[in-house]
Amino acid sequence: MEHESLTQEPEKKTKSKESDNVIKNIFSWIINNIKFLLIPASRLDDLTFREREYEMKISKRKFIRRLKSTLTILGISIIFFIVTLAVFAPWFSQYSFEHLAGIHTGMWDPPSPEHPLGQTNLGRDILGRMIYGSRASLTIALPAIFFSLVFGVIFGVIAGFYGGWPESIIMRIMDIFLAFPGLILAMVFIYIWEQRIEYIMLAYGIIGIPYYSRLIRGSVIQARELPYVQAAKVAGASNWRIMFKHILPNCIQPVIISFTFDIGGIILSLAGLSFLGFSDPQLIEWGNDIAEARGHLYDAPWGAMWPGIMILITVLGFMLFGDGLRDALDPRLRNL
Amino acid sequence: MSLIKYIARRFIALLPVLFGVVTLTFFLSRLMPGDPVLAFLGDRWTTEQYNYQLHRLGLDKPIIEQYVIYLGDLFTGQWGISVSINRGQPVWDLVLERFTRTFDIAILAIIISSIVGIKTGIISATNRNKPKDTIFRGMALIGVAIPVFWMGMILRYIFSYLIPIFPGLNYKNPGIGDPPIITHFRVIDSILSGQIYLIIDYLYHLILPVFCLSFITLAGVVRQTRSSMLEVLEQDYVRTARAKGCKEEDVINIHARKNAMIPTVTVIGMSFGYLLGGAILTETTFNLNGVGALVMIAIRNTDYWVLNAVVFCITLTFVMVNLGADLIYGLIDPRIRY
Repeated sequence: MEHESLTQEPEKKTKSKESDNVIKNIFSWIINNIKFLLIPASRLDDLTFREREYEMKISKRKFIRRLKSTLTILGISIIFFIVTLAVFAPWFSQYSFEHLAGIHTGMWDPPSPEHPLGQTNLGRDILGRMIYGSRASLTIALPAIFFSLVFGVIFGVIAGFYGGWPESIIMRIMDIFLAFPGLILAMVFIYIWEQRIEYIMLAYGIIGIPYYSRLIRGSVIQARELPYVQAAKVAGASNWRIMFKHILPNCIQPVIISFTFDIGGIILSLAGLSFLGFSDPQLIEWGNDIAEARGHLYDAPWGAMWPGIMILITVLGFMLFGDGLRDALDPRLRNL
Repeated sequence: MSLIKYIARRFIALLPVLFGVVTLTFFLSRLMPGDPVLAFLGDRWTTEQYNYQLHRLGLDKPIIEQYVIYLGDLFTGQWGISVSINRGQPVWDLVLERFTRTFDIAILAIIISSIVGIKTGIISATNRNKPKDTIFRGMALIGVAIPVFWMGMILRYIFSYLIPIFPGLNYKNPGIGDPPIITHFRVIDSILSGQIYLIIDYLYHLILPVFCLSFITLAGVVRQTRSSMLEVLEQDYVRTARAKGCKEEDVINIHARKNAMIPTVTVIGMSFGYLLGGAILTETTFNLNGVGALVMIAIRNTDYWVLNAVVFCITLTFVMVNLGADLIYGLIDPRIRY
């Protein structure tokens, strides 16, 4: 009987102890699970030896363990750092958003105690703009990539599953978008609409769709013929259900792998777009700052240097994390 | 013979894509706000002048008719006139002049990054998990994460301001003159007219931009080469070659390298698209006055003709480079037949 009590879920265990306090139960259940996921061997004392073996082999901890290389942790901490900067920007910067977007004296002043990294052409504090700039990059990159992910996956699954003329039409259109120079397409889109943040997101969202749909179409075509799809068909599942409940979860992995990596890519091309002057001029954005400092490279190098370092760090963080995630999810690609 | 057939077949397969790109650019450019006639006329104009120019530019016809005329003109090389840059200059000349410069940088960058990337990738694979490998991989990762225009600015600051050894801006010395225009490629024109010093001057100005640009594709090439090289080094024939007593460098250079090249060539071909995008940014940093500046002015002034021509040229180049990559497979691996 000792053994049976050990195999119980932590949820049940705590429930039997304090059945009166539901909130406390839920809380301890969450904490237990987080501990289980993050700290190896955290539940050793309530597991028998054989169970422990099993857990070691099968559990998600293996995934976490594979994720635990130095570079990946570096990547995660960079992302954490950037997100913290973005969320708590008013706390980190000694100037407010209005001050940083306003016009002040001190054109291209060198670093001073009030402005540790110098000032821009309108006398704005560069350190403050560096901190606030993380907001713009993340707010544009994340919705844009979610947009392209969702639509790319939908089109890709439909094309891969149905085959025939729907596939031909969808994939030909995707080919056209892929052959089109992406930077120019983004510039044209943004000029057609307006230089506002939501349109920049939309433009990047549209440009990203073909990559994901091509990626997922390949694996859907392979999965389409597998026995579990036939079984679902025999059981009378509708096409829609087969596509998105049966096939999609089995094919989503390459997309997730490339997803994190692509966030870095989007931030990079976004900076390029702002560098060319096709961005929201009201926005505090690293690329904008670099573009402004371009004409004053020799007399005020600090204006261009610091925002660029922020871009480099952010993109590097997402790419390191993406690399680590790929190694963990798909060990076959380890060497890449 | 089968090779020619294969190329012809690929060409026919490419036509729908090219046609789609042309159509998409045409209609997208017509959606842009602004009036090209106003861009052409400037601030002072009369209604009569306006109507005359509208008729001359062919904008008074229905849009479908304009589209059909445009498709016809695309093949004859009459790409219209530019309304924004050098007002009235034929687009064909303008685009050729600017595009060849971008093309030069892009081609030089892709050649250099392929050579350096493949070498680095092989060294990385043969020294797996040693300090050399780690350093090269780290460099490659930083190379992919660095914003290319920012890197260009830093290079300019260091190498043309702090240590002035390279020119920071422009593609030629101000007083040096141009070769007579024959093919629009500056290098070829200089050779044909026998002015070698022009080539030296030109290439000297291109060192920093090309260095900068080649970083874009370098990372992908290094990673792919390393990965496929590691795979190949585990194959039986490599073991056989080693057992036979081959020198290690022969094993790598003769037995392994060629077999590891096919995925790398694909990566190089595909990354050429990014490279052309990066070329636009690099040109802006170094004031090379290439296709990047052209595109920006064309978009800002709703210059339909220039925009369409530039997009067409870039797409055509991208598609051709990928076709070339497919043909190189046959050279690398004789087992591949078309």
